Amino acid sequence: MSDQWTDRLSEYLDDELPPDERSALEQHLRHCAACGAVLADLKRIVTRARGLEDRPPERDLWPGIAARIGAGSGETQAIDLAAARRRWSFSLPQLIAAVIALMAASGGAAWLLHPAAQSSVAVRDTIPTTPVVAGGNLSARNAGDRSRIAGQSYAAAVADLERVLTQGRGRLDTTTVRVIERNLATIDSAIAQARRALAADSANVYLNSHLAETMQRKLDLLRQAAALVSSVS
Amino acid sequence: MFLTLASAALAALSLLQQIDTTVTARTGQRLVVDAYGGEIEVKAWGRNAVRVEADPGARTSVEVSSSSGAVSVRTEGRRGPPSSVDFTITVPAWMGLDLSGVYTDVKIAGVRAPITVETVQGEVDVDGGEGAVSLRSVQGSVALRGAKGRIDVHSVNEDVRVSDASGEITAETVNGEVVLERVDATTLDAGTVNGDVGYDGPIRNGGRYSLSSHNGDVTLAVAENASATVTVSTFSGEFESDFPVPLRETRKGRRFSFSLGTGSAQVSLESFQGTVRLVRPGHLSRNDDDHDKDQDHDADRHDR
Repeated sequence: MSDQWTDRLSEYLDDELPPDERSALEQHLRHCAACGAVLADLKRIVTRARGLEDRPPERDLWPGIAARIGAGSGETQAIDLAAARRRWSFSLPQLIAAVIALMAASGGAAWLLHPAAQSSVAVRDTIPTTPVVAGGNLSARNAGDRSRIAGQSYAAAVADLERVLTQGRGRLDTTTVRVIERNLATIDSAIAQARRALAADSANVYLNSHLAETMQRKLDLLRQAAALVSSVS
Repeated sequence: MFLTLASAALAALSLLQQIDTTVTARTGQRLVVDAYGGEIEVKAWGRNAVRVEADPGARTSVEVSSSSGAVSVRTEGRRGPPSSVDFTITVPAWMGLDLSGVYTDVKIAGVRAPITVETVQGEVDVDGGEGAVSLRSVQGSVALRGAKGRIDVHSVNEDVRVSDASGEITAETVNGEVVLERVDATTLDAGTVNGDVGYDGPIRNGGRYSLSSHNGDVTLAVAENASATVTVSTFSGEFESDFPVPLRETRKGRRFSFSLGTGSAQVSLESFQGTVRLVRPGHLSRNDDDHDKDQDHDADRHDR
């Protein structure tokens, strides 16, 4: 899939190519489905990464719901909501790093690690703006370190959200808890299958991308569950 | 005599508990409904007014208020959580909606404005919506028809269906199907973990379309004059097409690309272990019917 243009795609996406090269690349893209597919992948990653930026919490309708359930009950708060919310928001840049690092860990996506590509919008917009690990400089680390750190960050973010869900499950309807847990199990199963497939074919771009997206789904669902818990506390 | 008096008293009490309030709707106002359980049905009419009808019962009060930004409807339990309340609310078609509930079904028809719906255990069924349309349910299905704009539809444990809609569309669930029919999307992100995904609509030049599933089939309807670069990815699934496709190259793993026409749109079709299928327009439903549903999928769902 690699040709002379592959490494220039992120520059193209960033609109950083000189006009003549841009024109030549566009001409090439008309005939090269492989480069077109890589460009589509890159656009998707960028879109996904932008969507994961440290956005403000979505307009929160749940507190209103919470007021209907627990207002005035006077019950003891078992959850440190401030801490939970802080961790929740912190998990987003962690997730971004996880997605990017998982993509980057793929040998098939080596263009992401190309020096020119390191200035691509996907990397520039995400990792440097919010250090994932205190004192760490992800952009200066090698791909293995990135992947390892991002993996640890992902695990920590999942653990935080799972803790919120575990501590707050008594506040949710039992059917809702069962549905959330069943769907988390469905996602976990998909993650395990993707990991097994990836173990046998670590350079597979699709498998890397699929694993990252499925892991993100888990975080999305955990985040949604944590928001439900927070709203009824 | 006693029975007559008692009946009259009950009727009077019942009348007291029924709500039928109409307030003036001013430009810029949204309808905000904060419910707990029951059904919220919203209809549109030609008047610049909001009519709220409900029968909350003795344990629950309903408050209708109006501010510069919103007409708000809230339920309040007199002792503890509110009981279920069915609302019928009539609004001007231009009025945006923010509706939320817990055990709440939501049904909307005729509104031509932004709509936000969030519920936990409830079905969401919307006909209309323009601008930002965001519909979410955890345990219920989500169905949207006739919307235009930036569309975001999510469930967790049920199906998501969009039809006769257009715009930038995101449609996701975990355990359920995602079906988009007669939809004109300029960008599309449609995905599920355990279920089928299908899109039947125009593929626009320069558009971006991503359909993905882990366990289910992914089906795309492609018109003969479509212009797209299509990338198909699978791990242990299959690829089928109802028509010849110009395969020119195969990338590492079970991943390949091909161009149709000038290849203007970017289309990504992914299924980890299901079948990726290309059909002609109008044949999406046929494929839904013809192929067996994943038994585990059905067993995992409908846990309400």
